[in-house]
Amino acid sequence: MQQTHTHAPTASPTTALPTGKLGLWWFLASEIITFGGLMASYTVLRLAHPEWAEAAKHLSVAIAIVNTAVLLTSSLTMVLAFAAVDHKNDHAVRTWLGCTVALGLVFLLIKAFEWSGKLSAGIVPGVSGFWSFYYAMTGLHALHVLAGIVVNAVLLLMALRGRLWPIATRVEMAGLYWHFVDLVWIFLFPLLYLS
Amino acid sequence: MTGARAHPNYVLVWYWLLGLALASVLVSALPLSHTFTVVLVFAAATVKAVLVALYYMHLRFERWLIYALALVPLVLFGILLLVLLPEIVSR
Repeated sequence: MQQTHTHAPTASPTTALPTGKLGLWWFLASEIITFGGLMASYTVLRLAHPEWAEAAKHLSVAIAIVNTAVLLTSSLTMVLAFAAVDHKNDHAVRTWLGCTVALGLVFLLIKAFEWSGKLSAGIVPGVSGFWSFYYAMTGLHALHVLAGIVVNAVLLLMALRGRLWPIATRVEMAGLYWHFVDLVWIFLFPLLYLS
Repeated sequence: MTGARAHPNYVLVWYWLLGLALASVLVSALPLSHTFTVVLVFAAATVKAVLVALYYMHLRFERWLIYALALVPLVLFGILLLVLLPEIVSR
């Protein structure tokens, strides 16, 4: 039998915002600085080294656009899981969380395929500054994707066991994180592949 | 806080995101000047980011405090770029 009871999230008395959401946005703010520092350094060094454009031509735009589509679609399925929580639709929550986990895994598989192609061609992180940034930024991003997959998979398991509803607001928090990871990719894609 | 929230047309937002991603790839393949291409490609990325933040992360329906949390690090990022860029321009 479907349980639809959810605990109301605790709101901070001073902000009237759910504490979990406030904490998550604090965390995302620190993440903006983490990725922002890397992206700002890369942008400045890229402008100083026009020859990096030649190295960037070794990257496959076709692989990157497929992965972009995969991640954008996973953001859609994640937000649909959040809407399904709001509508108390158990079946839809499981379906959309499952799709999000699967699409996250597809993204990592494609990324692993891309990396292995580069590594087997002798393009290792130390070859040039461009490739150091490429592996650092896509690697850190992939770790974030992996973390998101683990969180979403735990929520999916709880949904399959019928234990999600008491903590269903966590789908929103996991979603905020997942969309942030998508946001980072939205900028990594043009920074590395299109400019 | 479940139930009474606004849920915009998420699929429509997804169409725009995919369309902008494809458009930026097409633009980068056109024989335009490099600067113009970079401006167009990053304009498309910015619009995509705003769409994700406003609709998928629900910033459109949030209070000012969440906006402040999201915007302060972006301002810091801007300052970081502005401080570093003269290093390149002066070369």
